Amino acid sequence: MSPLQQFIEYSIVGIAAGGIYALIALGIVLIFKSSRTFNFAMGEMMMLSAYFFYAAAVTFALGPFLGMIVALVCSIAVALVIERVAIRPMLGRPFIAVVMVTFGIGSIIRGIVGMIWGPNDLQIPAILSRSPIMLGDIFVPGKTARAFAIAVVIVVGLIAYLRYSRAGVALRAAAADAVTAYSMGIDVRRIISFTWVLAAITGCISGVLMANVNTLTPHLGLVALNVLAVVILGGMNSIGGVLIAGFIIGWLEAITGLFLPTEFREITPYILALIVLLVRPTGLFGTKEIERI
Amino acid sequence: MAAVLEVKDLEVVYQGVIQALTSLSLTVPEGAIVTLLGANGAGKTTTLKAISGFLPLEDGRVTRGSITIGGQDLLKLAPHQIVRRGIFQVREGRHVFSEMTVEENLIAATFAQRAARSRKEAFDEVYNYFPILSQRRHQAAGYLSGGEQQMLAIGRALVADPEMILLDEPSLGLAPLIVKEIFEIIARINREKRVSMLLVEQNAVIALKYASYGYVIESGRTVLEGTTEKLSADQDIQKFYLGVEAHEAA
Ligand SMILES: Nc1ncnc2c1ncn2[C@@H]1O[C@H](COP(=O)(O)OP(=O)(O)OP(=O)(O)O)[C@@H](O)[C@H]1O
Ligand SMILES: [Mg+2]
Repeated sequence: MSPLQQFIEYSIVGIAAGGIYALIALGIVLIFKSSRTFNFAMGEMMMLSAYFFYAAAVTFALGPFLGMIVALVCSIAVALVIERVAIRPMLGRPFIAVVMVTFGIGSIIRGIVGMIWGPNDLQIPAILSRSPIMLGDIFVPGKTARAFAIAVVIVVGLIAYLRYSRAGVALRAAAADAVTAYSMGIDVRRIISFTWVLAAITGCISGVLMANVNTLTPHLGLVALNVLAVVILGGMNSIGGVLIAGFIIGWLEAITGLFLPTEFREITPYILALIVLLVRPTGLFGTKEIERI
Repeated sequence: MAAVLEVKDLEVVYQGVIQALTSLSLTVPEGAIVTLLGANGAGKTTTLKAISGFLPLEDGRVTRGSITIGGQDLLKLAPHQIVRRGIFQVREGRHVFSEMTVEENLIAATFAQRAARSRKEAFDEVYNYFPILSQRRHQAAGYLSGGEQQMLAIGRALVADPEMILLDEPSLGLAPLIVKEIFEIIARINREKRVSMLLVEQNAVIALKYASYGYVIESGRTVLEGTTEKLSADQDIQKFYLGVEAHEAA
């Protein structure tokens, strides 16, 4: 294979991986927009969702389809409890305090999952076909390609929904100016719950996809930290920017994997985020300065 | 539905220590335009925030007094419930959603509607009062002129179809001609739709012209009230709010 061909192949695989990143990023941005916090528990929410899927599909032998539905319902329920019990009482508190709460929630979820399912890898039923997709003579792994397609459909659907629906208008209004949104009769607290539900959905789907592409481990959610770096890179208040950044990071990881030792793969998102923030504190596509932590 | 708004002996404290209102009372009868005058920091906006239930959002609290409409206690309701009860506030500084289009701003206000009304019917009414908004409907609200933004802010109130509109300094930062145009439309809305208005203004000349009754507040308490004819003739009002020179009044 020629170096150019290899470069193209890695690029495509990387961008395909970026689809899931974009999906996770969307969940993070929605919560940021409504609750003004970085949700550091996003990765654990993903991971927990994947275990819900495992429990429903394998332990209770419901199969992948019903398993997915059960996982979605449980994930939404957990997100609503988190929002109600831990986030809502923190409204109006300093940014860093709320961020620390999300950290804490993440640790609790990790602890509980460790207690129930243990530290070892589990196999979940394959919902994605392995058969590779050939683009010309470029080989794209089947699972990655299909996960990408699903992620893109969900992301595009959600963005269109937020862009064109009345609920989307309410969400954007509440994010832009909560008091004025209230003055329009919008129940801002319900909007916040609603974004946690949406984040639970993107988290659940991305978690199950990740568990399919790789395996199901308690570390599954760590990737969300890279995504958080991505999100900061894209600019927290630009959904479009965040998505593009998701693909860029996926690509970058693949390309550094091609040229550099694997250790670099883990840190490239952070290095890139750091460089971008030094040059452009608002992120690549953001408009307002992010509160510094 | 005798929608009389009554504020009685209101005391408001911010952050547990800053007393913004000490004893404020006012009444807005059905269908009337009542104005609330006072210097900067007198407590005008705070009064409106208390009525709309916004105080908790800013760490403020009503510590004494009552606010009722048609006998119903408003202090027990959340902000979105108060709007849906028919009291719509057009906030000081207009607060249009600048990154959303004119039409999306109006869509946001449909959440305040009490009775179902088709979007077309509601928007047509807005565009009838403010034709310029119709031309700009797909434009981001942030690119509108100050006057157009004020029109949009009042247009959102029209979408809600309220019993009462609280207007906080609609003349703020606008050229006299635009101010006159906007007040003419406010008066028309009041007349044609029987919407009562509580009008907060720094511009006492225009407020006294369009309102029928007025209250003057100083450091959080009502110090003077009366029909606007009576207030316009008052020497202190002439001196402090209408800028009439002392020798003219003497
Ligand atoms: N969120 C807040 N926190 C603390 N103090 C506040 C807050 N909002 C207003 N105040 C104080 O309450 C007092 C009344 O303010 P308010 O905004 O009601 O005045 P106003 O009459 O509307 O003035 P202006 O004409 O300048 O708009 C002021 O002393 C102000 O500093
Ligand atoms: Mg004010």
